[in-house]
Amino acid sequence: MSKHIAILGAGPGGYVAAIRAAQLGARVTVIESHALGGVCLNWGCIPSKALLSVVELGDKVKKGADMGLLVQGPVSYDLARMVARKDQVVATLVKGIATLFKAWNIEHVQGTGSLRDRQTVVVTAADGSSRDIHADAIVIATGSSWPNLAQFPIDGQQLLTSKHLLDLDRMPASLLIVGAGVEGCEFAALYSGMGTKVTIVELMARVLPLEDADISSMMERELKKRGVEVVTGTTVERLERSPATVTAHLKDGAQVAAEKLLVSVGRGLNSRGIGLEQVGVQTGRRGEILVNEQMETSVPGIYAIGDVVGKVMLAHVASAQGKVAVENITGHHATVRYDVIPAGIFTLPEIGRVGMTEQQAREQVQAAGQNPDTAVKVGRFRYAGVGKAQATGDTTGLFKVISESSSGRILGVHIVGAHAADLVHEAAMAMQVGATVTQMAEMIHAHPTLSEGLMEAAEDVEGKAIHQARKRAQ
Amino acid sequence: MIPKDLRYHKEHEWVRVSGTQATMGISHFAQDALGDIVFIDMPKVGAVVKGGQQIGEVESTKTTSTIYTPVSGTIARINADLKDHPEVVNSDPYGKGWMVVIDLSSVSEVEKLMTAEQYEAFLSTQKH
Repeated sequence: MSKHIAILGAGPGGYVAAIRAAQLGARVTVIESHALGGVCLNWGCIPSKALLSVVELGDKVKKGADMGLLVQGPVSYDLARMVARKDQVVATLVKGIATLFKAWNIEHVQGTGSLRDRQTVVVTAADGSSRDIHADAIVIATGSSWPNLAQFPIDGQQLLTSKHLLDLDRMPASLLIVGAGVEGCEFAALYSGMGTKVTIVELMARVLPLEDADISSMMERELKKRGVEVVTGTTVERLERSPATVTAHLKDGAQVAAEKLLVSVGRGLNSRGIGLEQVGVQTGRRGEILVNEQMETSVPGIYAIGDVVGKVMLAHVASAQGKVAVENITGHHATVRYDVIPAGIFTLPEIGRVGMTEQQAREQVQAAGQNPDTAVKVGRFRYAGVGKAQATGDTTGLFKVISESSSGRILGVHIVGAHAADLVHEAAMAMQVGATVTQMAEMIHAHPTLSEGLMEAAEDVEGKAIHQARKRAQ
Repeated sequence: MIPKDLRYHKEHEWVRVSGTQATMGISHFAQDALGDIVFIDMPKVGAVVKGGQQIGEVESTKTTSTIYTPVSGTIARINADLKDHPEVVNSDPYGKGWMVVIDLSSVSEVEKLMTAEQYEAFLSTQKH
């Protein structure tokens, strides 16, 4: 008889796990209290990209006159229509998941799930009624939630999370963003693009502090070009609120007043209230569920995937973990490779990255007793040197390839510029199969494409980029 | 091409002293090496700076380069016109392309900078 798998949560981890489990012959029940697709699809990646794509188009049209495209009147944004279209995009994709569930005979139970024992999930519906679901294995995919810090009491009016900012009906005159991580920078690009006066405050010394330093500094300039006030190396000490304005008093003594404030720091993990203690599932210091390489928790038969395991909080990692969990449940053997995880940051322009930053690469070789100046080689190439970029007017951007000198192994690739998040996958594939930087450079790249920039950056590792002036000897 | 009345820094910035203030920008050589300038990241008015310190960045279609202040003091003014028209630095580096005005903390610091003749000689060693 086929196994019955119960999955808590239908985000990009849970719904993908459900479909893969069904493909592998399991009977699947998915418990979801909100919407199919989870945060990513409903209040995250997809809606933000749907809105950002409009500003991206607006930016292009604004440059139109220089390129010979004449449009009557200035570019302006109809936020209500943008939001309506975004909702439509989301609805289409949510419906797509429901259709797939139906096709695979996956049962979708609306409600909040909690573990009663190793093989039972209690589901409580919105009306208070509850039912037990018995399963041979359980996958916890409850994800993470918006910040909820005492210092920033979210009210949905003045103090907002990214969820609120995706559904505003009116453009705020000014917006203060606390935290210049991925989400903070994406919303800074989005709202400044629509004409809101944006200030972004980051505790660390640079925006996108986890990204490669070259990418960070380039993004900081791009934000400044859009008129974003970038304040780094400080934090909000206290807020002063009036009905019309929120004023942030910063640690460095400065003050920033804005109509609205986006809290973009500290997502919480959804590991509470789901009965983990009841069945003895162990969690770590941050509340993350501890799992082994097969995504199994401390309790045999109970697996956990996605944000709630606190490893890499990305939708596509959750999906990969979900597939691995159900492969193992159904008797196959699978593990997740964490060294090659491409990721996109949807700022304007966007960022694509995979592997280590230059600093991480240098630290790694240094820890191995090597001299980072010689053990790590870096190649760079600017979008402006790519023919296609000149032709389309997307000349702002940079390709950066980081490699290990001794082996030629690619350690990391970072791209900022048009289509960066798509372009980075060639590098991810090269890393996945263990290709060297020379192999990447020697592969013929079609002309005219932006991908040529990656080839040139790979060539530049050995100082052989064709469309780059010779470097002066130091 | 190298105005006689200015003083120059090895990182290719120039200063023009007037009383206790110095106006600074980048040299013709620097703008020529950078190519088409698309963005200048300026320091904030009121910032206290030290000679030799990095105070901003110039981005061109080719590269990004650091702006160093040759002198110490407090940023008194910045050239706001460069925000929308950074290309002015290419066309008029010693005039409308000025970048900042600094209230000098020590006027004598300027004396350490190169004269036009010295800078010209310095440039001849830079050519590749």
